[in-house]
Amino acid sequence: MTATTFPSSVFPTAHVFQQWQDAVQKAFAMPKVMEAVQRVRVGVTPSRAVYHEDNVRLMQYEASLEKRYKTPLLVVFALVNRPYILDLRAGKSVVSHFVNRGFDVYNLDWGVPTPGDRHLAIRDYVLGYLNNAVEHICKRTGSESVNILGYCMGGSLSAMYAALRPKRVKNFISLAAPYDWSSRDSLLCLWTDEKYFNVDRMIEVHGNAPPIWLQTSFLLLKPVQNLMEKYINFYENMEDEKFLDDFFAMETWLNDNIPVAGETFREFVKYCFQQNLLMQGKLELGGERVNLKNLTAPLLNLVAQHDHLVPPSQSTPLNDAVGSSDRKTIHFPAGHIGMAVGGKAHRDLWPAACAWLEERSEVIKS
Amino acid sequence: MSGEKPQNAFPGLDPFMQMWNDFAGRMSAVGMTPPQAGSDAAQQMRRAFFDSLTQYFDQYMRSDAFLNAMRQSMESGLAMQNMINQQLQKGLNAMQMPSRMDTDHVAMLVRGVEDRLLDRIDELHKRIDRLENSPGATANGQSGKRTKA
Repeated sequence: MTATTFPSSVFPTAHVFQQWQDAVQKAFAMPKVMEAVQRVRVGVTPSRAVYHEDNVRLMQYEASLEKRYKTPLLVVFALVNRPYILDLRAGKSVVSHFVNRGFDVYNLDWGVPTPGDRHLAIRDYVLGYLNNAVEHICKRTGSESVNILGYCMGGSLSAMYAALRPKRVKNFISLAAPYDWSSRDSLLCLWTDEKYFNVDRMIEVHGNAPPIWLQTSFLLLKPVQNLMEKYINFYENMEDEKFLDDFFAMETWLNDNIPVAGETFREFVKYCFQQNLLMQGKLELGGERVNLKNLTAPLLNLVAQHDHLVPPSQSTPLNDAVGSSDRKTIHFPAGHIGMAVGGKAHRDLWPAACAWLEERSEVIKS
Repeated sequence: MSGEKPQNAFPGLDPFMQMWNDFAGRMSAVGMTPPQAGSDAAQQMRRAFFDSLTQYFDQYMRSDAFLNAMRQSMESGLAMQNMINQQLQKGLNAMQMPSRMDTDHVAMLVRGVEDRLLDRIDELHKRIDRLENSPGATANGQSGKRTKA
């Protein structure tokens, strides 16, 4: 029988003393942490609301540069969180990449659904709010179409819109968005299986999908990382001001969950997660069938290789489902949120995405 | 003696034992690497522990045991919430105050009215388009396009 031996350096007395010293230093860093909490600011690019409808606001980002491209860009985020993740902090803002290249950028803020919004269905978001926002942008800019950047569930909703109103979409960028739920490899697909999850009953009782319930589900997807490693990492880096600023900005967003309108949540779980109707071309919104083959705009599909929320198997099938002849996929080594805020993504991915859009955009003639 | 594997008395412990064995294996590997700074070895041990734990949780959360427990706890939670909703509704009704059910009902009615109105407006638009595009309309000298009054 062989005994496992550990190097004596693993548990030396000096090491324990060092740990104690570190702990004292961390305690002295607490005021710095409190300061970081107080100065946390999210959403760095100046913006103003240019259109309101119920709780929905259409934000236009202000640019110091003159606009260079004719077709505006509309950013469409998911319904489960706030959209400022795409403009979180200086140096970590997807929006600023496009604004600084001369695009006229808009962001659709879905707002926070109230209990009275429980009857809002997917068609209300896609053919109502999203459609009206696009129409408003076209009217105010004189453009006949818009470029769309859809993130996560916002990508799915935007693809539905682009398939129903193809003339209004000039270029389509999908960012870590799910379209095909046939594979059951993701935990969310497993948890929402009708064998284990009665979405009708949940919405009947709660009205809207409660934010605390959504947040807990997301946390549980990676419990070790979200509940243990994150805080150990925080403890080890609590003297680093830049780390603290990033950490609290991220925490602000992560804890800023909002409810999802009950009927929309029910439809999304039933028609997408459980029945996979979008990919089969069987989804109907307001009496119109959503056929992804009608999405003929040039497509850039940004797929997160390490995405635990929307695995690549849910995103990549979009390229074969659409009718676009100009299609490109970028598989990027990042997670779901890393695609929006990761340093590597801002260094390599977003300049490439901007260049892709520039190649397909008409320059305003002076 | 039969060739069958003996039945485990605590099948629920299998994933945990697997995780622990995996962790112990990785820890041994760390101990056997060439001598290095203590903190580095500790970092590797921690990484190994978290990796094993992550794997264990992922397996567990995909297991029937977890999924069934999740379903049952959700059903119980919903039943409880439903009971609270009903009691609140009764209490509010007794005090002649509107409950969430009442406001939901009003919202449903408004939505129904809105849907019917929008359908009607759509029908009217189609009728106007048909009239404007009919040969009779252009023959009478009309432009076929709607103009602002």
